[in-house]
Amino acid sequence: MSGIATAVDITLNSLVLGGVFLIVAVGLNIIYGLSRVMNLAHGSLYAIGAYTGYTIVSLGVNFFVALLLAPIIVGIIGLIIERIVIAPMRKRSMIYTLILTYGLMFFLDGLIKYVWGNEPRFVAIPAFMRETISIFGTHYPVFRLTTLVTTAAVMIGLMLFLNKTRIGMILKAASTIPEMVSCLGFNMNYIHIGAFILGCALAGVAGIVAGPLTTIDPLMGHEMLISSFVVIVIGGLGSLRGAVFAALLIGLVQTLAEFFITDLAMVIVYMMMAVILAFMPRGLFGEGKFE
Amino acid sequence: MEKTHRILEIEDIHTYYGESHVIQGLSLFVNAHEAVSILGRNGVGKTTTLRSIMGLTPPRSGSITIDGQKTIRWPAHRVSRLGVAYVPAERHIFPGLTVKENLKIAARSGNGGEPCTLERVYDYFPVLADRTNQDGSTLSGGEQQMLAIGRALISNPKIIIMDEPSQGLSPLLVVAITQIVKDFCVDSGMTLLVVEQNYRMALKVANRHYLMSTKGKITGIATTQELIDNQQIILDHLAV
Repeated sequence: MSGIATAVDITLNSLVLGGVFLIVAVGLNIIYGLSRVMNLAHGSLYAIGAYTGYTIVSLGVNFFVALLLAPIIVGIIGLIIERIVIAPMRKRSMIYTLILTYGLMFFLDGLIKYVWGNEPRFVAIPAFMRETISIFGTHYPVFRLTTLVTTAAVMIGLMLFLNKTRIGMILKAASTIPEMVSCLGFNMNYIHIGAFILGCALAGVAGIVAGPLTTIDPLMGHEMLISSFVVIVIGGLGSLRGAVFAALLIGLVQTLAEFFITDLAMVIVYMMMAVILAFMPRGLFGEGKFE
Repeated sequence: MEKTHRILEIEDIHTYYGESHVIQGLSLFVNAHEAVSILGRNGVGKTTTLRSIMGLTPPRSGSITIDGQKTIRWPAHRVSRLGVAYVPAERHIFPGLTVKENLKIAARSGNGGEPCTLERVYDYFPVLADRTNQDGSTLSGGEQQMLAIGRALISNPKIIIMDEPSQGLSPLLVVAITQIVKDFCVDSGMTLLVVEQNYRMALKVANRHYLMSTKGKITGIATTQELIDNQQIILDHLAV
């Protein structure tokens, strides 16, 4: 491969990886920003998104239909979790939901193993997605580009929703001064429920688009949970802009590191996080709002 | 509308912050189209009174009736939808939202009459029209107060409850905001309950005044004229 082809390859790979990190991290951030709940089961919901997508596709349904269905299913699971686990703890300190969602993570992981077993699964993607196309001399797999386009579309859609719709504005307002939002006549309970469903659905989207990139196994959610934590810690808790920047940064660093020194890839990512936090303890963009 | 129609009636409420008994048996009322003030020093329970009405710090006992509805255990969003607009002392303008968005999320159609719209608010406060696409949190203190008042008006409420509109403003701006409250919230026939330490402002905007001393006790009720004639009442209540 030529130098340019390698550079294009690395750039695209880091965007693909960063895009998946971003969707997972933004889901966590939305839930945290609106409800001050740090959902430790978020990675497991991502895994369920991947498994659900796998099952839907293996039933013979088109991959793109699955792309729509899986997040809806994960969103419904999110609604059930919110009602049973999160809502009763609303008035308590964050530590309660932290412990509960930690337990929930193990429960969901067990559930995954019970339903789908321990062995890795592979999503049967449509034939055209298995092709490669030539971009500046590199033969790039179409399914990776599909992931890239999907994550970009989801992010653009989310930004338009938050910035251009009335509901989006209410969510942004609720992430800053929830009490005043109540005083304008909006029921914060519905906002909490909606935010949780939205966050979980985003984990589901990330899961199904990431499915073809890796093997689907019961532990895939743990790695992703940690990576998305790194993203929101570096970007600044709750900050959407910070998450975009941090996700792309980590995507790039991890891809570069994997290319040059595979064994140290994650070490380098964590070292970078440590250095950033040493100088900017609140993350690059500060503990943030939805902007 | 009958003259004595009561928009707000509070009877013997007791409100606590944790174990601290902040309001110990407060009663007051506000008639439709009336502007009423609660005058009192810092810490006597004025803000808590408004938070009790709004449902933000619900009273443990007593009764609150707003436009015929018993609202004592209602959450804030239900109280708001009944037609109560709250202008908190901190303004609570949403950062990250533009001036226009801050107004638009509060907009609600009124019940008959000529509703207050975005255009109307911009008519009242041309400076907000100039800043329409600016982040609300970047406005000056006076502008934020105008935005908070505009946000209350645009919800076309039955009553506005306002917490220390003069707080943190320069004397010149206090005069300006006083005039704004008088013109747009009082003279237009709006019902207003305003809480103040600044009695000059309260006397300008309201016609009936409750004098509050510690723990939310009402120690006097007076009209503006009575207070002007007998300044000693004010000094007794407000002088430190």
